[in-house]
Amino acid sequence: MREVISMWKNTRMIILVALSAAIYAAFLIVFKGGIPIVPGITEVRPANVFPPVFSLLFGPAGAWGSAIGNLIGDLFGGTLGVGSIFGFVGNFFLGFIPYKMWGATFGLVTKKDMSQTTNSVQKLIAFEIIALTAAAACGIIIAWYLDLARMVPFAFLAITITVNNFAAAFVLGPILLALLYPRVKRWGLVWTDIMKPEDVAPGMVKNIGAILMIVGSLGGLIVGILVASGLAGQQVYGFTGEQGQVAVWLSVLPFLVLIVIASFMLSGREQFVEEEE
Amino acid sequence: MDAEIYLDNNTFFHRLDPRTKITVFLLTFVALLLFENPLWMLPVAFLILLQMVVSGSTRNMGRIRYILIVLTVSGLVLWNLFSKGVTPLFWIFTVESFLFSIARTMLMILMISAGMILISTTRNEELVLGMIRMGMPYRVGFAISTSLRLVPTIASSTMTISQAQRSRGLDLDSGGLLERVKKFLPLLVPVFISTIRSTNIFGMALESKGFGAREKRTYYLKLEMRPADYAVLIFAILFVAASIYFFAAGYGRLPGLTRF
Repeated sequence: MREVISMWKNTRMIILVALSAAIYAAFLIVFKGGIPIVPGITEVRPANVFPPVFSLLFGPAGAWGSAIGNLIGDLFGGTLGVGSIFGFVGNFFLGFIPYKMWGATFGLVTKKDMSQTTNSVQKLIAFEIIALTAAAACGIIIAWYLDLARMVPFAFLAITITVNNFAAAFVLGPILLALLYPRVKRWGLVWTDIMKPEDVAPGMVKNIGAILMIVGSLGGLIVGILVASGLAGQQVYGFTGEQGQVAVWLSVLPFLVLIVIASFMLSGREQFVEEEE
Repeated sequence: MDAEIYLDNNTFFHRLDPRTKITVFLLTFVALLLFENPLWMLPVAFLILLQMVVSGSTRNMGRIRYILIVLTVSGLVLWNLFSKGVTPLFWIFTVESFLFSIARTMLMILMISAGMILISTTRNEELVLGMIRMGMPYRVGFAISTSLRLVPTIASSTMTISQAQRSRGLDLDSGGLLERVKKFLPLLVPVFISTIRSTNIFGMALESKGFGAREKRTYYLKLEMRPADYAVLIFAILFVAASIYFFAAGYGRLPGLTRF
């Protein structure tokens, strides 16, 4: 995760944080009404296409941009609250996971062409896998915390955020990335053009890191919902009633730890191959 | 579109140092999160309401009434589904679960109100400088303040592009879910391109003015803690300490409540 800190030395990366945060926040605010998923409760947010796209194009600046953008969206949208704290963390991971996993998608993105665009079927599949993983990671991080803070139930919120995050990214993400990449590349603003490889964490056993990330995100989502809805965990762990909620926190916690461990195992440095050629 | 939330009033809360307001905002969260019984949340609710009225922030609360109504209705229903009590009320609802759902709904609404008071009484630059003075690196502060400044501009150009595309026949309101999501593409691309292409020039302008040359920087804006700030901070700390004491002594719970 070295690049997450080292990028703050680079002026252009700082500007990309500011601009991506502003774009994300502006879209969050303008389309706050959106298209309902559960009428009166939540809606499809077209702005949610931005975090994975920002992530692949701007790397760590996209991660910070997503986190800050969501916070500003809360600020201007009038929903700033205790949930905004982990909304920040969740959205950070929404923008962090895609660029970290891009070069570790089990051969779907090869060393021959590491470009951060969806110019092949394999890359399209890679994009959808990482977008889903990031959406679920964001969902369980926010839902776990808000359940812990006794604000919103895990089972309801985790799946809602995951669907919310993934819907726009699934449909619009590949098209948007394919349209934007050539221009951003021409302007020299792809993160691998701005940062130096030595400023990026080297990582280790990246494919295992990618597996852990998927297990941590999607596994946490599935297990958390099962336990929260009383289908498995409460009986398995022997908790009931009030303590049933403790079972949700405890059952999701190892998956959150897995996400953090996987973050240290993944790199992003492998994406510098193209520039060296 | 009016994305400016700050209200240019000269009230007691406007005059407080941003560090005081940020600290009070965070302490409010602690006080709110402690209790399950809505009656025990009333003192905090009263203080938040008082701040809102004195600072004139009620005007901004009106702007988010739709969000507040949705949160209230969904909160009152949802929390009943994820908790149960021992005293039947009606259908699946029990007295304990209903009281709990009121408390959770109050929690969300009051937290949003506290956030709204903070940003209605504090300018963006004061808020960011307050955070920097509280330990945030200035580079991060710069990114946040730049975003805050750009959001109204980008939101406004998004609206303009949206209207321009609609006038060319773009229909964002019909079709299936995936079809409607796809229709947002003609809005996303121009906004992104027009914003991002200025990055290099922006970077050169900043570096030519010495941005990032030193670890510390100076500011035109000066922050100063006055006696009123210390008085508010002492009151807030004592209030939260008393709340924690009552919570630890077992007050503010809902006996018979089971949460899932």
